[in-house]
Amino acid sequence: MHLRTLEYLTSPELAPLYWPGVVTGLVIAVLCASLSVVVVLKRMAFIGQGISHAAFGGVGVAAVLGLAAAGGAGAGLGQSLVVLAFCLAAGLGIGWLSEKGQTQSDTAIGIVLVASMALGAVLLQYAHLRGRAGSVAWESLLFGSIMNVAWPDSIAAIVVALAIIAGLWLARRPMLFWAFDEPAAPAFGVPTRAMRFILLLMLAVATVTAMKLAGVVLATAMLVLPGATALQLSHRFGRVMIWSQVIAIGGVLAGLILSFEFDQPTGACIVLVLSLIFGAAWVRRAWLSRAGRAGPAGAGGASGGAAAEAPGA
Amino acid sequence: MTTATPTSSSFRAAPGEGDYAGPAVRYENVSFAFPPREGGPGGLVLENVTLDVRPGERLGILGPNGGGKSTLLKLTLVLLTGFTGRISVMGLTPGQARRQRVIGYVPQRIEAELRFPLSARQVVQMSACAGLPPWRSPGPRQRAAMEDALKVVGASAFADKPIGELSGGQVQRIMIARALACRPRILLLDEPTVGIDVSGQKQFADLLARLHDELGLTIIVVSHDIRTVAAGCDRVACLSRTLHYHVAPEGLTPGVLAEVFRHDVAAIFGELHVDAHKASACKDPSHRH
Repeated sequence: MHLRTLEYLTSPELAPLYWPGVVTGLVIAVLCASLSVVVVLKRMAFIGQGISHAAFGGVGVAAVLGLAAAGGAGAGLGQSLVVLAFCLAAGLGIGWLSEKGQTQSDTAIGIVLVASMALGAVLLQYAHLRGRAGSVAWESLLFGSIMNVAWPDSIAAIVVALAIIAGLWLARRPMLFWAFDEPAAPAFGVPTRAMRFILLLMLAVATVTAMKLAGVVLATAMLVLPGATALQLSHRFGRVMIWSQVIAIGGVLAGLILSFEFDQPTGACIVLVLSLIFGAAWVRRAWLSRAGRAGPAGAGGASGGAAAEAPGA
Repeated sequence: MTTATPTSSSFRAAPGEGDYAGPAVRYENVSFAFPPREGGPGGLVLENVTLDVRPGERLGILGPNGGGKSTLLKLTLVLLTGFTGRISVMGLTPGQARRQRVIGYVPQRIEAELRFPLSARQVVQMSACAGLPPWRSPGPRQRAAMEDALKVVGASAFADKPIGELSGGQVQRIMIARALACRPRILLLDEPTVGIDVSGQKQFADLLARLHDELGLTIIVVSHDIRTVAAGCDRVACLSRTLHYHVAPEGLTPGVLAEVFRHDVAAIFGELHVDAHKASACKDPSHRH
């Protein structure tokens, strides 16, 4: 039986092309899984969608400015910075509009999302007509491609992941308090605005990092599905975080293998696998509930006992 | 319900408390208005509210919905800013009091995300560890504060259950334990009996009495429910934008309540009568209207 996965990862000609994507995929899995639980619990999944789609507008601006070929392998730092700035501006804009209370958050996100997509489409076409867009691969821009990823991208992803995980660890206590009870948190000395800003910043950076592999459309899924699935499996925060990591890493590995074996888009395969895992976890929880056993606790939460240390501890 | 008394050392004295002899909380001519907003008027919510909360007393702030009770509480906690007048907490500004963790706060429980995968103990620990540097693990002091808080509210038995699986009364106890875990000298409770049945309200009154007696806390309860403040407080301030009365709970006559709530409540509460007095007629120098 011929396994393409083995061939891609061991052949001297092909391995240098595929290994950066595999390594980056695993790093993105760890990064997104670390943020995913808070994103889901704070109901910020749709904000993530708005931020990731803003990246499309950023790619358009970068193309007009002539900053590397959009979507191509080794796309430059300039493009990444422009896209990051767009994502961050979108996140802060959504947060600001929602906080002011004059526009509901879902409306604000919807506006930012479609405006960014439209801007990206117009600017990419403009850049193409002016000969500045290089080899624009719309499909890989939207849905990602493992061929987009080179070793510099892997190194950048590792640095970003280390920085975000370190930031999460440093801010874990106030961030958890903020996420659990935002209205009351300031009375306990938690800087809630700073927490929201930090999380939006992390979301923007993670989105840009995940974009090359998963694409604009699918990057959000990496930030939502691992946490949403983990929450089906346990009541204990520590276990939910571990499940989130296991599901994200497993989903990325399985998605990569499917992508290699069946010659399908990498990002789409990863998201499909993660969606299937979520579906299975949801069905399992529903089945346990119908059987009269406590939902997520049945997966191992209820026996955590007094020894379970607070996640912020 | 089983409870145990925490060690007296676990609840510290407030900063400077030994030297401070004034009121626990002092409101002087406090006024506050929300800015006008699209789709709704802003307007004055509090007007020249002057009130002293005595150290160690249980004060109930009673009034109709929208009467400014929660706003006064949020100004004290710096959850809202932009008032005129002066608020002092144990002689400190509200901001200083918050930084020094003088006040414990129990919000309306519906505002917390109870679907979080946290145990009740973890919720309390969040408060006990707030302010701890990220590189430090909880020490004996934080653990003692957490366990004592759980004990004093009678929550040790269900402390390891997921917060989302607790009853309304149990969640309320956990929220009180969370407020106590930062070892405050003043406890503020916002609408603590909303959604709790009559027997739960009785247990709540007993709990307040125990916190007061065993920990010596100054307690301020904000509620629109007369039963909550009548059963668990030494004194009641009636607030509906302005401060109408300050009375003992027995002084909440139908006439007083009718003025505060702006409708006849005699049919609800029956004939209560003692020594309610209007602010304009008050001659007691210890009373601050």
